[in-house]
Amino acid sequence: MTDIFIAPKNRGEDRSPVLSYSESARALSVFCKNPKGVSFQTQKHNELIILFLRAHLITNVSWLVLSLILITLPIIALIFLPKLGINFSASSQTIRFTGVYIFFYCLIVFSYVFINFLHWFYNIFLVTTERIVDVDYSDIVMHNIASTNLNHIEDVNYTQSGFIPTLFNYGNLFVQTAGNERNFEALSISKPREATHIIGNLIGKTK
Amino acid sequence: MDFISLNFLHPAIWIKIITLIAIVFYVIFTFIVFTQVRVMSEIFSISDSKTILRIISIAHVVLAVSLFVIAIVIL
Repeated sequence: MTDIFIAPKNRGEDRSPVLSYSESARALSVFCKNPKGVSFQTQKHNELIILFLRAHLITNVSWLVLSLILITLPIIALIFLPKLGINFSASSQTIRFTGVYIFFYCLIVFSYVFINFLHWFYNIFLVTTERIVDVDYSDIVMHNIASTNLNHIEDVNYTQSGFIPTLFNYGNLFVQTAGNERNFEALSISKPREATHIIGNLIGKTK
Repeated sequence: MDFISLNFLHPAIWIKIITLIAIVFYVIFTFIVFTQVRVMSEIFSISDSKTILRIISIAHVVLAVSLFVIAIVIL
């Protein structure tokens, strides 16, 4: 009897085309396939990270511009306020107070920069061979880590709207899960179409 | 400085007290940031960022404590 269908011998090879190569992830990477040097706390021994996602670098421009303005503000104040009759070197006491306040101000600006950087740095979305992991670092006193198995994913889609997201190729990725499990979202990620395609391929294979 | 000789009606004293209280809150805040960085670097790590971020957060705490000490000494 002739065979109607012959299964391919090495099915494992085409199981995941995204595993065919790997990139070394740098600290400021925003989109990395099969990243090397990335790990998370609950990662299992045989669990491989397929995709590493983070908000596009361009999303940091707003706080960077504000930080630059805040850095230059005391310099402008020290130049122009004496012209308005406000003298910071009138007495030794005003010099001391000015010195302490400028130092305090610089530290507050540094904190602003550091916290915004941490907010960007620790808001990550990982796709592994078994699940997706969403790390949300929304506040300085709050972080949330959620994960779901790939076979619980019902649908994956993305939105990319607006001039700047289209220009820099970033958008929002949404992962819908089955039942009462929470839905996942990765906001302002780089290359959302490619990420959707990779997750779509994975859930297609695991189902 | 003799405590009895402090003139509490002088505005500079109150400005100094308020400044010191604000700096104390700031020092507490830097400790919270340091703790968060430590926790987050245990949860997730990428290349050698763990060490760099820890050094920055420790430097942040040290600078805040230095500010508090400076404020006590020179204000």
